[in-house]
Amino acid sequence: MRYLLGFILLLIAFNVVAATPEETVQTAFSKLAPQVKVDAVQESVVPGFYEALIGSQLIYVSKDGRFVLDGSAIDANSQRDITEAARAKNRLASLKQIGPDKRIIFAPENPKYSVTVFTDIDCPFCRRFHQQIDAYNKAGIAVEYIFLPLDIHPGADKKAEAVWCAIDRKLAFTAAMNGADPGTATCVNPVAESTRIAHAIGISGTPTMLASDGSRIAPQISLSPEKLAVELEHIANNPVASR
Amino acid sequence: MKFAVIATLALSVFVPVAQAADNSEATARASVQKLIKDNKIEAFEKSPIPGYHQAVVGSQLLYVSDDGRYILQGTLYDASAKVDLTAKRLAKVNVAKLDSYPDSKRIIFAPKTKPKYKVTVFTDIDCGYCRKMHSHIDEYNARGIEVDYLFFPRSGPGTPSFAKAVSVWCAKDKRKALTEAKAGATPAPLQCDNPIAEEYQLGISVGVDGTPAVFAPDGSRIGGYLTPDQLQAQLERVAAEKPEA
Repeated sequence: MRYLLGFILLLIAFNVVAATPEETVQTAFSKLAPQVKVDAVQESVVPGFYEALIGSQLIYVSKDGRFVLDGSAIDANSQRDITEAARAKNRLASLKQIGPDKRIIFAPENPKYSVTVFTDIDCPFCRRFHQQIDAYNKAGIAVEYIFLPLDIHPGADKKAEAVWCAIDRKLAFTAAMNGADPGTATCVNPVAESTRIAHAIGISGTPTMLASDGSRIAPQISLSPEKLAVELEHIANNPVASR
Repeated sequence: MKFAVIATLALSVFVPVAQAADNSEATARASVQKLIKDNKIEAFEKSPIPGYHQAVVGSQLLYVSDDGRYILQGTLYDASAKVDLTAKRLAKVNVAKLDSYPDSKRIIFAPKTKPKYKVTVFTDIDCGYCRKMHSHIDEYNARGIEVDYLFFPRSGPGTPSFAKAVSVWCAKDKRKALTEAKAGATPAPLQCDNPIAEEYQLGISVGVDGTPAVFAPDGSRIGGYLTPDQLQAQLERVAAEKPEA
């Protein structure tokens, strides 16, 4: 009996009285920001925290429910942003819905790496990026384009469709990126679907580049074939620790 | 006796953790230093998050796990108390920097009677909302709010906005020159010893990234452009807060 009592006291002391991760996170948000709808809760590699997914956002909530951290975490060993990596993982599933048959792929013979690039024909930086496509391929990088025509570029969605419906897509794409008018061809195309999926995973700008693990590559790196090759190698050598 | 055993068990669980915590400070600190390279850790202490330390670096706060492996940056909230703990801690860093900046280097618009509140406002002559803010200056003062201006020409040293700030500072009547410049007049070009570069650096060090940037007496940043109603409400809220949350 005395043991039992002591055991119960210990349990209380260690706060083992269990709430599920979902309950803990929900309770924290109900106090801090009741309007927020939490989509999912998962364990985190960051000690003492859960990860709460809210749309495409990732927020850390301490396991005791007391602290909420809106920010990012870095693994000091690899110097990688693991918040971005966690977001990336969640992004990958949606990204897989846009298969190779819905992309325009520029690949070298035996690609070492593959990246996904959300692009818009009327976006100047996207055009600049595509001017270097040979250099990317030469560096062993396959570039898989997905169309994301932005609302701020009226008519860009029609151009994307026309390129998609051309007899030689790659040729038409390169011509359009060099300023040629792609015409007005129409056919069944994935432009609307890929746009919808991009928005759902929090991608709203172009060019946005994702590595094969789903992590986002910063423009100052993605716009340089040399820097990108180095970064992709670093990512490949430093996979983010799984839980 | 039986309780004693349990107590011992409990202690044996706690003690190694306590010892680990003693070594953790150096480990965690080294990890932060490696990440921030040549930048300086201005303060290093235990964080309110169990198992973490925190480092003040410039105008930022980093949280680091005691084993040094994970470094977090962002905004930390206390969910129950609904308090932004990051802002609270950084306010303390800022208040030390702002309080040590002398009145003699500020351009002060004070109420006629003893002010109830005092705000420090980083401003830029060529900024629309700074001008709009200054158009309410009499109203702020009428509500007992003293406005201390420091210059933060957003375009930086060597630019026309910076030169305008210097000209206003060097005018015989600084306040008049400031008011005229904010109304759109180009100040007569003047040169003299001035604190504009120092103010610009101070702004950067307290995290100013736009103007106007309004700081309350506790060092917390409360705006942006604020109407007299909004400014008064913010100051009352800050004054009502307990100093230690």
